[in-house]
Amino acid sequence: MIDFPAFYDALGIMATSAGSWGWIVPGLIVGLVFSAVPGVSITMAMAIVLPMSLYMDFFSAIVFLTSVYTGAGFGGSVPAILMNIPGSPSSYATTFDGYAMSKKGQHNEALGYALFASTICGILGYVLLLFVVEPLAGIVLKIGPVEMFAVAIWGMLLLGSLGSKYVTRGLLAAAFGVLLGTVGMNTAGFIRGTMGLPVLLDGISPIPAMIGLLAAGQLLTLAGKDYILDAEEARSVSVKKILAGCWGTMKYPGVLIRGSIIGIIIGAVPGVGSSVGNLIAYAETKRTSKDSASFGKGNPKGVIAAESAVASAEGGSMATMLALGIPGGGATAILLAAFMMHNIVPGPSFIETQKPMVYAIILNNIVQAIVLLVVGIGFIYVASNVVKVRTRYILPAILVIATLGTYAVDGSPSGPITLFIFSLIGFALVRYEYPVAAVVVGILLGRMLETEFLRSYQLSAGNPLYILQRPGAMAIVGIMLLSLAMTAWGKRKQAKQEAEEEAAMQALHREELATAGKH
Amino acid sequence: MKQFTRREALKLTAAGGLVAGGSLAMPGIVRAASYPTRPINVIVPFATGGYNDRLSRAFAPYLEKELGQPLVIINKPGAGTQLGHTYALQQPNDGYTILCTSASPYIPLTVLLQQAPYKNEDFWMINLPSRDYTLAATSSDSSIKDFKQVIDMLKKDPSSLSIGVQPASADYANMVLTMQAVGIDPTKLRVVTYDGGGPARNATAGAQVDVGFVGGEGFIPLKTKIKPLAIYAAETVSWFPEAPLISASGIKTDMVEGSQRGWAVSAKLKAEAPDVYKTIENAVSKASQDPKAVEALKLQDLATTWYGPEASNKAFLDNAAKMARYVDLLKS
Repeated sequence: MIDFPAFYDALGIMATSAGSWGWIVPGLIVGLVFSAVPGVSITMAMAIVLPMSLYMDFFSAIVFLTSVYTGAGFGGSVPAILMNIPGSPSSYATTFDGYAMSKKGQHNEALGYALFASTICGILGYVLLLFVVEPLAGIVLKIGPVEMFAVAIWGMLLLGSLGSKYVTRGLLAAAFGVLLGTVGMNTAGFIRGTMGLPVLLDGISPIPAMIGLLAAGQLLTLAGKDYILDAEEARSVSVKKILAGCWGTMKYPGVLIRGSIIGIIIGAVPGVGSSVGNLIAYAETKRTSKDSASFGKGNPKGVIAAESAVASAEGGSMATMLALGIPGGGATAILLAAFMMHNIVPGPSFIETQKPMVYAIILNNIVQAIVLLVVGIGFIYVASNVVKVRTRYILPAILVIATLGTYAVDGSPSGPITLFIFSLIGFALVRYEYPVAAVVVGILLGRMLETEFLRSYQLSAGNPLYILQRPGAMAIVGIMLLSLAMTAWGKRKQAKQEAEEEAAMQALHREELATAGKH
Repeated sequence: MKQFTRREALKLTAAGGLVAGGSLAMPGIVRAASYPTRPINVIVPFATGGYNDRLSRAFAPYLEKELGQPLVIINKPGAGTQLGHTYALQQPNDGYTILCTSASPYIPLTVLLQQAPYKNEDFWMINLPSRDYTLAATSSDSSIKDFKQVIDMLKKDPSSLSIGVQPASADYANMVLTMQAVGIDPTKLRVVTYDGGGPARNATAGAQVDVGFVGGEGFIPLKTKIKPLAIYAAETVSWFPEAPLISASGIKTDMVEGSQRGWAVSAKLKAEAPDVYKTIENAVSKASQDPKAVEALKLQDLATTWYGPEASNKAFLDNAAKMARYVDLLKS
């Protein structure tokens, strides 16, 4: 719970280090711009600015870096919504409904939804953090391989159902993705599928692979058009509509809260990060929604769910880092380095002795989320103008930027080469009607699935009853099975007794969509 | 990372210009006639934020002062350091490339297990100040009291405790050597593998595994969450004095040193341009013993002890030979 004297001291730190406030806006802009470039991840953006922060004093450096983190958490959703190309893996789920909304001419609203979900859940994540930073850290350490494996399966299961014409091709594509995800040296030290190339020892770099797969199909589609949006009147950029989207977010508190909880917990688990959280939050929201059929076709709830998980994961990840000195993901690993470069070692003793500083960092992040709202609207306004540019100018620009971005990931040609090879694979998949989404999910989750399964097997010595000693894992599996059973039961009911009613509901949705989609 | 190094280079050039200007005015700085005349690259075969990255950045200002030229830190992570080490050896032997790396265990490991295109002898150690050792530890709320108890339990039933360790690491070799020394069949153990020291430490602190064998230094921030059982060092370790030595448990076992980190160049540089090499060696030596550097690095828990090239190369090659001897253990 909140330690009030420390809290007042934290306010004091915030007030006395006024100079550090000046770093919020530049940090947010750096984060927004870098993460909006396809191929540059949040981690990458922070790695670029880390050396600069060495020249600042401690609190300013942390404010600057966490601002980049906050900005980057949202920036990726801009290309995801406008062009169906996620800036980073954590905004992958945003493409599903975000781009669908754009196609309907609702890009302003979609970006508004994403921004507000990002802001609110960013704040929500940190407010929760203020209360539970210590207990959360204790729980995180207790999450073991069995629990993690259950989470990975969850991600796989619910995403496998993402619209595909043929079930068999969907399964095949997912299996292909998982296989690609396991290339490299596994956790037990075995090397698979590297074709003797040392760069593949760490696995296929997920960012260039993902962008290659998604961009190939998308860019070809766009190449056939004059503009990203067909209808001329839809190519507007309107602050009013953006704000309408922002405001609309408030209508879905349930989606926001669920997304935040999933985001915080998954973000807090070391080594997972927000790229899994957004998938699970999206899939869960879709599954539990009454109008699940409209997901993927431009349902704002899809955008909100995905973005809320990404934004709140930041708070979760920070909790683990502050309380245990363990980075939850790449971005917090950079933050951790920044702390250490200023001679501060986060961890249990840091939280005990420096509580005001911990609170000040958390409070500052809340301020950042609020500032993001303003800076974000400006950024969206500028970025949205891309819909007014002819695709013949956009496409070459995207290709060049994506190639440079993937080159930047580790400063070697392996990035662009991966991008190129996966563009070809992506093209072939689209051409033969295999769902690209399933391959991407496989790549993102494949390694986690294998690693955690292997560790569970090693830990249990192959005894499946081991799960009985892990109440956490049983709970996750239980909820998962329950949700599956409910979905199956729902479908049966739908087929048998309520066929008519369902049909009526579907018709209603179609009508709604048709009205909404009318230009 | 190109962008990153450019920015860094710009910043450092600005700062370095001053240093360079200052150093010209200062006599008594040992320099070869025409070296160095431009910024020097420091290759770190790890991503930003790791130990070597922090070491290089913290040490750079002091080394810059001695060399009279700015240093540009270049991170080349990937393939268990093989990419960065290969890259460093591919650079011209003109003294404008220095390595800041975890020579042990990574150079021998990539040579032994990944058929890296270099040999241990292709590298020349200037100084390896940071030494890390395998620590056997358990969660702080575990019922295990000491290392002897672990061995007794495993002797009775090798699967009674789960063991967390990184495969193909010095820690793994140490763990297996210990088991062999006390007559436990390592293949019967319940070993859980982790692809990195960090995850293995988290699993240990969170009691996911009963005992973890991991590099001890990384445990420092988590000190309150673990109980050290045995450290694989010959004498008490300054940064973890409360960790009992493995010899204290009464077990006689051979051991491999966990990590030897610090400064290196290609062996060719020393052979082909001895003057240039000597300049670098002197600069590292002076900077390592600069009281200001020692103080600044100590605050960040970074090592500066000056062992010198002779001792460093001996330690590195001895340990590499040991790893080669136990290569079958590393292969797991």
